[in-house]
Amino acid sequence: MASRSVAKDIITLRGSAAIVSEFFGYAANSILYNRGVYPEESFAKVKKYGLPMLLTQDEGVKSFISNLTAQLSEWLEAGKLQRVVLVIMSKASNEVLERWNFSIETDGEVVEKGVSREKSDKEIMREIQAIMRQIASSITYLPCLDEPFSCPHTSFGHGSSSSAGGFIVSLPLDVLFTGVFDVLAYTDTDVAVPFTWIESDPKLIANPQMVKLHSFDTKIHKVDTLVSYKNDEWDEQ
Amino acid sequence: MQKGDRFIPNRSLMDLDRAHGLLTNRTAPFNATSSFNQEAYRQKLIENLTLDSQGRPFKIMVFRGSPKSSQKPIRFVDELRQEVASIFDNDCKQTPYRCIPKGEKRVLDAPKLRNDYYANIMSWGKNNILAVALGPELYLWNSEDQRVHKLLQVPGGNDWPTSVTWSEDARTLAVGYMCSSLQLWDVESSKLIRNLEGHSGRIASTAWNGRILTSGSRDKSIINHDVRAANNLASCIKRHADEVCGLKWSTEGNRLASGGNENLLYIWEASKMSSSKFLHRLSDHCAAVKALAWCPYQYNVLASGGGLSDGCIKIWNTQKGVCINSIETKAQICGLEWNRHHKEILSGHGYSIRENQNKLCLWKYPSMTKVGELGNHKSRIINLCQSPDGLTVISAGADETLRFWDVFGPPTAGNLMVSDLQGLLSFRTSVLR
Repeated sequence: MASRSVAKDIITLRGSAAIVSEFFGYAANSILYNRGVYPEESFAKVKKYGLPMLLTQDEGVKSFISNLTAQLSEWLEAGKLQRVVLVIMSKASNEVLERWNFSIETDGEVVEKGVSREKSDKEIMREIQAIMRQIASSITYLPCLDEPFSCPHTSFGHGSSSSAGGFIVSLPLDVLFTGVFDVLAYTDTDVAVPFTWIESDPKLIANPQMVKLHSFDTKIHKVDTLVSYKNDEWDEQ
Repeated sequence: MQKGDRFIPNRSLMDLDRAHGLLTNRTAPFNATSSFNQEAYRQKLIENLTLDSQGRPFKIMVFRGSPKSSQKPIRFVDELRQEVASIFDNDCKQTPYRCIPKGEKRVLDAPKLRNDYYANIMSWGKNNILAVALGPELYLWNSEDQRVHKLLQVPGGNDWPTSVTWSEDARTLAVGYMCSSLQLWDVESSKLIRNLEGHSGRIASTAWNGRILTSGSRDKSIINHDVRAANNLASCIKRHADEVCGLKWSTEGNRLASGGNENLLYIWEASKMSSSKFLHRLSDHCAAVKALAWCPYQYNVLASGGGLSDGCIKIWNTQKGVCINSIETKAQICGLEWNRHHKEILSGHGYSIRENQNKLCLWKYPSMTKVGELGNHKSRIINLCQSPDGLTVISAGADETLRFWDVFGPPTAGNLMVSDLQGLLSFRTSVLR
């Protein structure tokens, strides 16, 4: 992206952490909506990043995401967060179907010395907008998240996510560990595990397909996005 | 692998995932026969290979904050029990990841169970029989066929069993009473074998070490009885300043931990007990020390739990007499059970002004971070005990129920959490000189 001579804004460590954790909140919502993890009706439109973004209205999911982003923000400010991964699992078999991987590179000098950087807010917004568009359009190539192979692979999205195959709508019983999606954080080893988090395995997919999406950079945190998914047998090899 | 390739800048990311997938190989059946040593080695290997593109090591956590569903969890115990039992069966099969049951596997009615913090009225023997004292009666419940048999009933109204312990071979049951008598019962024939004299106060704690039965009493003394000798009293120790409410012999049988109502914890060496010389006198607790449990994978390590004004679980190195770790649970601790299959410890709680009231809490060892909590007793928990296979824990509550929790699984190979070398070097010391 060619940089124009636009007025630059000052970005502080705290500001950058806020931008990144907010981005993650919206991205998580978008993934949950686009991948049909929760029913469409439970989402409402808001304007953000110059796009109509969908946010869940379910109280449980809302507080889950806000507690999560609060913690991520804290870790980002300390420069200790390396990655955030949103994992989508099959409700029936607990098998990992999709991994949305957001890797974070932090400018160590900013964390150590407390300096700030300069970048145009608008440009950051544009970069994030590009990623959000890519997430929304990912349904054109990502396999159905229905019961394994019970729906034909839609190779051309028709706009509404309901054509990508309805996901099981009834939410599981609130048992501590089960859920159709999970959020993992990769942090430095010296980070204490907070009470609401547990040490985890990486929940990897065996032989995944991977697609790299755009990245955005606040000049303090650089975020790369990658989605890996289980090979759909319908795919041509 | 870690350096960025000139042609594929983000290669490290992709390779790492693949390496992980191949390394951990979750599609293969879970190898239940790998010993603890192999597991530790594998962990170390994975740790060493998990470096990111900058060569930085990392750790992974999953967020378990608030429930994601807006549906309220079902409160009715019966429905919950049934549903969770099926989910639990389902989920524990797939991942080696820990899962904590939200509901009990079973609830037994325990009418007349005495609401007495100091009593130790349950013991689950190697013969799969649970002995439990309910008021003046003592019952045996067979966990294999669920049959119940009443072993004894104390007539009158002034006496009742206050402590029940199976011998290690589960051939003899030791029963201590309110009125200071101590009996040995042969359960196969339902016969009283022997009365052991020596105490002048109620016997709330007992512990076996081979053929030695150790009893702790309200008369502040600890007596070691040699159950095969005609003159049973092998040694009598008067050190505690109040009732001896906790007694546990170490796994190897060389050390005894005794907890008192005066908040002291003593560590004794088996060979030196006749001289009343203690190995360590530990005064860190601020309330009665009833809950004691020796660590099954580190033989020197002891966990102790304090009563209401203390509420701390303390981990001790009994070789040096030093407290390695202490965490506040903010609730009265009535029992501690180590998980032999995963490195965890479970605490059972009674009264609390703040949190954890009437609950069971599971803690990861050695970090002592809380893995979770469970339990829906309507009043305080009095006792805990675990099954011979180390998978189930029973909590006895003042609400007159015994609740069974399958909290320690999934099982690992036998109970081999201890390295083979340590196992080789351990030996049973003969107890008394």
